[in-house]
Amino acid sequence: MFAYVVRRILATIPVMAIVALFVFSLLYIAPGDPAAVIAGDQATPQDVERIRASLGLDRPFLVRFGEWVFRILQGDLGVSIFTNLPVTTMIQQRLEPTFSLMILTLCLAVTIAVPMGVVAAWKQGTLIDRAVMGFAVMGFSVPVFVVGYLLAYVFALELDWLPVQGYTAFSNGLWPWLENLILPAIALGGVYIALIARITRATMLEVLQQDYIRTARAKGAGQRSILFLHALKNAAVPIVTVIGIGVALLIGGAVVTESVFAIPGLGRLTVDAILRRDYPVIQGVILLFSFIYVIVNLAIDLMYTLFDPRIRY
Amino acid sequence: MERRNFLKVTAAAGALGGMAGLAGPALSQGAAARTLRFVPQANLANFDPIWGTQYVVRNASAMVWDTLYGVDEKLAVQRQMAEGEEVSSDGLTWTIRLRPGLKFHDNEPVLAKDVVASLTRWMPRDPMGQMLKAIQQELVAVDDRTLRWVLKKPYPKLLYALGKTNTPICFIMPERIARTDSFTQISDYVGSGPMRFLRNEWVPGARAVFAKFDGYVPRQEPASWLAGGKRVMVDRVEWHVMPDPATASAALQNGEVDWWENPITDLIPTLKRNRNIAVDIADPLGNIGSFRMNYLNAPFNNLKARQAVLMAMSQEDYMRALVGDDNNLWKPLPGYFTPDTPLYSEEGGEILKGPRNLDAAKKLLAESGYSGQPVTCLVAQDQPITKSMGDVTADLLKRLGMNVDFVATDWGTVGQRRAMKNPVGQGGWSMFHTWHAGADCVNPAAYNALRANGDGAWFGWPDVPAVEQAVAEWFDAPDLAAEKAVIGKLNRVALENVVYAPTGFFLGYQAWRRNVSGVVKGPLPFFWGVSKS
Repeated sequence: MFAYVVRRILATIPVMAIVALFVFSLLYIAPGDPAAVIAGDQATPQDVERIRASLGLDRPFLVRFGEWVFRILQGDLGVSIFTNLPVTTMIQQRLEPTFSLMILTLCLAVTIAVPMGVVAAWKQGTLIDRAVMGFAVMGFSVPVFVVGYLLAYVFALELDWLPVQGYTAFSNGLWPWLENLILPAIALGGVYIALIARITRATMLEVLQQDYIRTARAKGAGQRSILFLHALKNAAVPIVTVIGIGVALLIGGAVVTESVFAIPGLGRLTVDAILRRDYPVIQGVILLFSFIYVIVNLAIDLMYTLFDPRIRY
Repeated sequence: MERRNFLKVTAAAGALGGMAGLAGPALSQGAAARTLRFVPQANLANFDPIWGTQYVVRNASAMVWDTLYGVDEKLAVQRQMAEGEEVSSDGLTWTIRLRPGLKFHDNEPVLAKDVVASLTRWMPRDPMGQMLKAIQQELVAVDDRTLRWVLKKPYPKLLYALGKTNTPICFIMPERIARTDSFTQISDYVGSGPMRFLRNEWVPGARAVFAKFDGYVPRQEPASWLAGGKRVMVDRVEWHVMPDPATASAALQNGEVDWWENPITDLIPTLKRNRNIAVDIADPLGNIGSFRMNYLNAPFNNLKARQAVLMAMSQEDYMRALVGDDNNLWKPLPGYFTPDTPLYSEEGGEILKGPRNLDAAKKLLAESGYSGQPVTCLVAQDQPITKSMGDVTADLLKRLGMNVDFVATDWGTVGQRRAMKNPVGQGGWSMFHTWHAGADCVNPAAYNALRANGDGAWFGWPDVPAVEQAVAEWFDAPDLAAEKAVIGKLNRVALENVVYAPTGFFLGYQAWRRNVSGVVKGPLPFFWGVSKS
């Protein structure tokens, strides 16, 4: 097991290297010019050219790539072209809001979606099942920003229960932290709840028809015990897989959610950096996201062993 | 550790963290009243007003750095850090004396050598500064409070150059900071203005915070734009960047922010219905919409093709696309200068007036020899203003019978591509859309877009010597009457040659909560004099 974990962690190095090369190349060939953005609309072409030279953007691809890789190997993601701040500092400033949002969304989604899926499978074909599936379809269909606006309108503007926007650090208190994240987490969690609920239902339906479930019933096991102890544990592997895949969904959804609720997270940092062509920031953030995704996948693989003892690495 | 134990420890840690948080400090009502929360027009992505000349950087910098002179609401130049000035009878030597007691935010005195370094850094980045640099013979600190500027030829607009609102503004920084090359970003933000920039609270893309500087010595005169006593009435000004207008609107209605610099017109009716919110014009100098045709590439390297477009275009179409039905927000603009300002002129503007004549325009286009070559029209879709105008232009060109290659892209790409002089089809372009702040268009001083000096001109590279001649005459004009005469001529020749196509004059709103007072109309948000109850 330990050897497997080490092997998987080492395998992230070539993955990250390929991501780095891909991202750098893509940004190099992509249109757009940070120097033009910095210089402003009234700048002359000569101004733009001088800024480009001062930023080193006029140097050849290989020189720039080599320098960047050399710095990364030293743990330095570079300095933002625009803010003059280290990329690591900018990422650190944004990590907490995004992770808070993602963790809360994840908790909310799993807490709601798994029981929903279980109940839907148990009550297959009933009104409850249809309601759950209807909700799932709606969760997939309604864009995050629409849900976000509706929630903000009802719970912030009309009822005045929660703030419209912003983020308060966890160090300032549990409730201030939570009250800023409730609406974004619900908005972002919609798709995720739908996804997990559907997978849970489908997997549970399959498991509930297995022989050992009939045996458990014959032995007189209660419905709750059958559903949550016998069936759900055996249905867990695909559910956990979907939860892992959904992290990518969350990262994508966070971009929109953070914009709608003005949360200063990594999603907004990414969009701002892309629009301004702040290459070091884009590269740093994408590397981070790739790393997170690789680690989440590893965690999911390791979790399989908790739910299915037959799986051994 | 077993799974159950792990969960218990995690839960306990969370609860402890939560309890600790519940005991956290709350913002008192008094403190809240001393903090002004502002939603700016854009993200403050950098904080060097010389290196980065975006308006949002200028607006933030105006709080942090002071100027020698400042333009007031009547567009007149007033002394600011300067106590007085003398100019020699030949107009070649300017001697400027600083007010006593001026201090930087590190409590060091503002000295003449700081001013010399600041002027030296500013000049290469500013059109007027470049002119001054070209005729500068000597710029020295005579003593701690006096500097002398010797020129090779008179420059009557010198004080205006030092006090204008156009970016880059000539801000005064400590010498050690101002020694930084003009094309390299500074990283030390010690200012000379009424507010300090709190760098440790800066989260680019989200928040910027400014605190009142107690050591600032305001002038005695009432504040008026960049001039007069800059008295800050709050302890802190917090900028909250909100990329989504709907969120900013909701936050303003909910009292989570106090002042929104540029609400979009779609949301104005909602804001006006809220009795806690005041809505008014933000900047009376407004903006001038424009699209520029490339003088280097066919078909717009031909004067008749440019004139045909001007003849066919309807400014009302453009302005309706921008501001909708609100007639308070736009005016037709048969010229290049900001309406309701002293130098405004409609001379030569007949081509933009009256009913549009598409048939005559088509005839003119045919005379230009246009034979269906593609017209590459760059349109930034992420900027509502350029997107709206681009859609109108595409329709206009099609009605004229032109073969439109509509390039829908983002502003970053337009910014890069418009600098390319290649032929169309090889990365070049035929036209792009933009707009100019009305404050930049009150005279030719900082009006890059109107310059027509070929390679040295703004994108599109118009080459019209008569325009350049008129600009030079304006700089030498001795009084307002002479300036007006020159501007009339300039407007005419620029329109005759279609330096660019003005799509109309438009205004924007600002909105604030009614417990905020002292908000004024101006080319930038002025935070001095603004208080909150």
